[in-house]
Amino acid sequence: MSQSYDRGLVEDFGRWREFSAGMWAWVLHKFTGWVLIGYLFTHIAVLSSALSGAATYTNTLQGLEQIAVVRVLEVGLLAVAVFHIMNGLRLLFVDLGVGLESQDRSFYASLILTGIIVVASVPVFLEGMF
Amino acid sequence: MAEQYSSFASGSTRWFLQRVTAAFLVVTLAFHFFLLHFYNHAPEITFQLSASHYDVPAYAVTMVLFLGAATFHGVNGVYNALVNQGVTGTPKRVAKWVLAVAGVLLFVQGIRVTLALMGGA
Repeated sequence: MSQSYDRGLVEDFGRWREFSAGMWAWVLHKFTGWVLIGYLFTHIAVLSSALSGAATYTNTLQGLEQIAVVRVLEVGLLAVAVFHIMNGLRLLFVDLGVGLESQDRSFYASLILTGIIVVASVPVFLEGMF
Repeated sequence: MAEQYSSFASGSTRWFLQRVTAAFLVVTLAFHFFLLHFYNHAPEITFQLSASHYDVPAYAVTMVLFLGAATFHGVNGVYNALVNQGVTGTPKRVAKWVLAVAGVLLFVQGIRVTLALMGGA
């Protein structure tokens, strides 16, 4: 079984200047997780307009998509989701004992891949908005 | 084994399910984004378009599993985060049941939405 690792109290965010890559990965994974579960509840609430009929559903979704702030927030949601996926894959490999010696590099790779995917997706997400 | 740190006790059922749902969500969340932002474009989505996806039984099954996995993974993740923050005793029990009820309500509402879309297919 794995040994415990004294990481210090990450929850004390006043220590952020001392955070290593692993601590930043932990903080960002928690933060993106909170955003995603918050969004899931919001998402189901918006989609519940389907219960009021086809026209309400279509008008609600298309109305939201016409708001520029919503489109920008969707790019933010993509960034959050992609990072959570990339870092989550990294964590799954770590749990399997793969890549234990290169956890810092795989965290930086997660960040870079997230950045590339999000920037490449911006034109599609903001199409016709500006 | 080399030193490693996990957010909660390894070996438990919740630990295992959190990882199984994670692996499933990696694929389904990416598929969901791709389908509804790149294959279809979000501003063009209508009730009829959403309903038409449910003509494919595998899509309906995948979406229900996606909803269940996301709900469990999210609610269980919040619980783990609270325990990590040091929540114990009564607040921990309250958090557990509030999150469990919230998760069930979210799943049921998601199923109601799915049925509404399937009825319109």
